[in-house]
Amino acid sequence: MAPGLPIANQIRRLRFDHGEMTQSDLAERIGMTRQTVAAIEAGKYSPSLEAAFRIAHVFGVGLDEVFQWVD
Amino acid sequence: MSFREKSAWITLVTVLLCFGVYFGALVTGRVSGEGFPSMHLLLACVAVLIVLQIVLNRIASATTPKDGRAPADEREVLIQNRARSFGYYVLMGCSLTLFLPVHFGHSAIQIANFALLGVVLTTLAVAGAEIIMFRRGV
Repeated sequence: MAPGLPIANQIRRLRFDHGEMTQSDLAERIGMTRQTVAAIEAGKYSPSLEAAFRIAHVFGVGLDEVFQWVD
Repeated sequence: MSFREKSAWITLVTVLLCFGVYFGALVTGRVSGEGFPSMHLLLACVAVLIVLQIVLNRIASATTPKDGRAPADEREVLIQNRARSFGYYVLMGCSLTLFLPVHFGHSAIQIANFALLGVVLTTLAVAGAEIIMFRRGV
C-alpha cells in the first residue's frame, strides 16, 4: 500500500491465481492502460468504483476480495 | 511509457525547442523585436512546431497502438485535469505580470511577445506537470 492511500489490493495475487495474467491483459479487459493497472496495483492510484467493479468482475470475485480498507 | 505520456514529452520538447529559438533570437538581438523579421520567424517556428507535433504524435501512436487509438482512461483524464488546473494558475500569474511591461512603457509588439511567453510557459507547465504525475503514478 502506498503512503497516503488507505486502500490495499490483492490484484497481484489474483493475477497470479488466474494463470499469471499480465497487467496488459487485465488493462485490456477493463479498458485502461497498462500503466494505470500498474499504478492501481502499486497503490499509487485509487480507481473509480466502476473500474474497481470491472477488475473484480474480471477475476470473478467480490469487490472486498480485491480491495480492502486499511485503518 | 503510455501514449499520453509520450505526447506530453513531445509537447514539452517541441515547444521548448521552437519557442526557445524564437525567444532566443529576440533576446540575443539576432532578430529585431519590431516589425516583419520577428513576425516571419514566429510564423516559421509555429509551422515547424505544428509539423513536429503531428509527425512525432503519429510515431508515438504507432509505437503504442493500443492506447494511441483509445480514449484516455480515468487516471489519464485525472492527470490531464490536474495539470490543466495547475496551468490555470501559471497563466493567471503570467497575465498579472503583463502589467509590468505596460507600466514600463514597452511597445505593443513587445507586450504581445510577453503575452506569448506567458502562453508558452503555461504550455510547458502543463506538459511538465503531466509528465511528473505520469512518472509518479498520479
